[in-house]
Amino acid sequence: MDKKKVELLSPAGDLERLKVTMLYGADAVYIGGQQYSLRANANNASIEDLREGCSFAHKLGKRVHLTLNIVFHNEDMDGVEQYIKDVVDAGIDAFIVSDPFIISYIKTNFPNVEVHLSTQNSTSNYETVNFFKNEGIDRVVLARELGKKDIKEIIDKTGVDIEVFIHGAMCTCFSGRCALSNYVTNRDANRGGCAQVCRFSFGTDESEEFTMALKDMNMAEYIGELIDIGVRSFKVEGRMRSLYYLATVIGTYRNIIDDYYNNCLTPEKMEIYQHRLDRVANRETSTHCFNKEPDYTDQYYTGRSEVSNQDYLGQVIEYNKETKLVKFYERNYFEVGDNIELFTPNGDHIEFKVEKLYNEDMEEMDVARHPDDIYYLYLDTDIEIPEYSMIKVVTK
Amino acid sequence: MKLLAESSSKNISYYDSIDGIILPLEGYSVESTNYFTIDEIEDIVKNKKCEVFVKLNKNFFNDDIEPLKEILKKLDLLKVSGIFFYDLGVLQLHKELNLSVPLIWNQTHMVNNYRTCDYYYSKGVEYALLGKEITLEEIIEIIKKSKITSMVEVVSRPSVAFSYRKLITNYYKYLGKEGSNKLTIKEKGTDTNYDLYEDNNGTSFFMDVVTNGTGVIKDLYDAGCKYIIMREDGVPSFDELLSDTKNYISNGCSDSNYVEKYKRLGDSTNFFFKKTIYKVKKNG
Repeated sequence: MDKKKVELLSPAGDLERLKVTMLYGADAVYIGGQQYSLRANANNASIEDLREGCSFAHKLGKRVHLTLNIVFHNEDMDGVEQYIKDVVDAGIDAFIVSDPFIISYIKTNFPNVEVHLSTQNSTSNYETVNFFKNEGIDRVVLARELGKKDIKEIIDKTGVDIEVFIHGAMCTCFSGRCALSNYVTNRDANRGGCAQVCRFSFGTDESEEFTMALKDMNMAEYIGELIDIGVRSFKVEGRMRSLYYLATVIGTYRNIIDDYYNNCLTPEKMEIYQHRLDRVANRETSTHCFNKEPDYTDQYYTGRSEVSNQDYLGQVIEYNKETKLVKFYERNYFEVGDNIELFTPNGDHIEFKVEKLYNEDMEEMDVARHPDDIYYLYLDTDIEIPEYSMIKVVTK
Repeated sequence: MKLLAESSSKNISYYDSIDGIILPLEGYSVESTNYFTIDEIEDIVKNKKCEVFVKLNKNFFNDDIEPLKEILKKLDLLKVSGIFFYDLGVLQLHKELNLSVPLIWNQTHMVNNYRTCDYYYSKGVEYALLGKEITLEEIIEIIKKSKITSMVEVVSRPSVAFSYRKLITNYYKYLGKEGSNKLTIKEKGTDTNYDLYEDNNGTSFFMDVVTNGTGVIKDLYDAGCKYIIMREDGVPSFDELLSDTKNYISNGCSDSNYVEKYKRLGDSTNFFFKKTIYKVKKNG
């Protein structure tokens, strides 16, 4: 087994998510700039944000990948060279690109910056990877339609660094080969405006509506196999997800990967990790094409809905070791006497009973009921509780 | 300007009157409603009276590569007029196998700017079938600024999406019923129908409304467009349309009666005059 450790690559919809996911164990993040990125509704980073984010990442020995993966129209080409120069100056480590002209331009003019082929190209065979290898590509993000055998064969036959998605939402159609959003909503799917029409329900002549939405991907149980076949980077989907979601998912995959390398990923631990991932998800999950042809079990059908829970109780602002008070933003209702859990970016999980609770004016309270308000709770512990630790419901 | 057409049946006799035909190869092509075997293509090429292009526009997987090599070599020997490709593995194999058959860049929704067209031209790709989600103004800019020879689909039911998944089979399995490989679905917000076709390669989505670009042919002609394409599926009296269009082009696109006559194909002009929105927003 290649012992060069696999990269855990996190989405970062903005600068705060960049920092938080790195604190929770991401080796690198991918982030969109304010132009040329496929997530129009993410906050996306300004050049100044990118500079600050890259500085933050590099001090930790981590990396920032910038998405530049729209399908360009004529007008989008205006100013793209200057933009590329600006973000390179800001310190980014890699571009994620789908357009081969842009790949060629970057490799010619900025040879020290990596270029990764976006999954928007739905690369699904070794000859296509060889084409981009000859163009100087540094990494290929493979199509989500590939199984284990195909992924391994591509790695073995090309030697190119391969990145695969391991967690998050899935497109029903081949990435890049879908313009449903353009036709149904006039929003350009391939320029950042995808309206997720594949999650709509449609009428038919049959008794029930037609749906084609996919369950999310969850590859937690196959992390070891993916490492063993030589995948270089594990990508988590979700630039528009919450801090709590990202902290949970990235923190959990950090645990799984580290335990695998340390030969201590026991079934008992795996059960705990999978439970954490299941609780934070709002959809059912599948491993999709990894071990089988995709089938009807990978989809949602009429009458099934996406659900969310109220597990997320608060986000820690700071912990005062003298007063033993945790200062936090409230997210969901809880009260004195509840058993709750606090987890930290360092991987610590602390379960405790809420004994004392105060509002921002230090008035003692029985309940925390106002989202975004600042509260304090008493917790006597020697474990370090940094900013961005998360408070949640205890679930077994 | 030449006129190419894609048939919705095996009957292609009336295509002799136009400049060329496009034949989707069975097993190697998607987003069509009619496919030809390699033997049928060979027969057509041998008896051809016009240019013959072949579509190989599926996303290929590793197991497809060796058979694909043989197909490419065969089409090269047959001297077909060109191969439409989506997957860049085809471009890679074209180079590896040292083939001379011309290539057409046909990445359905991605052929949208002149600089990327020029990139492909620099890689030996002779033609590009332009995307159907860009405006006429953008199309004309590409035609004028790119070295590549542009092709523009002017009459068709546009292919909207393609999934590797067997979405119709899955739907009927959920319903516990036997179904066919075709299904019409209605998008309720816009009251628009989409036709789904499923085969071993996956599921293709088509608009059920014909794009009527007969009114833009003159603009394309004036811009120097070398090829326009019409696809038969869903288009009534297609042979007459082809014949009339060929005459229209031959006469310099000056016959206003042609445009008037073909208003009967409907008023959908797809994105020729409608710009897609939702480019990435800029924070304040």
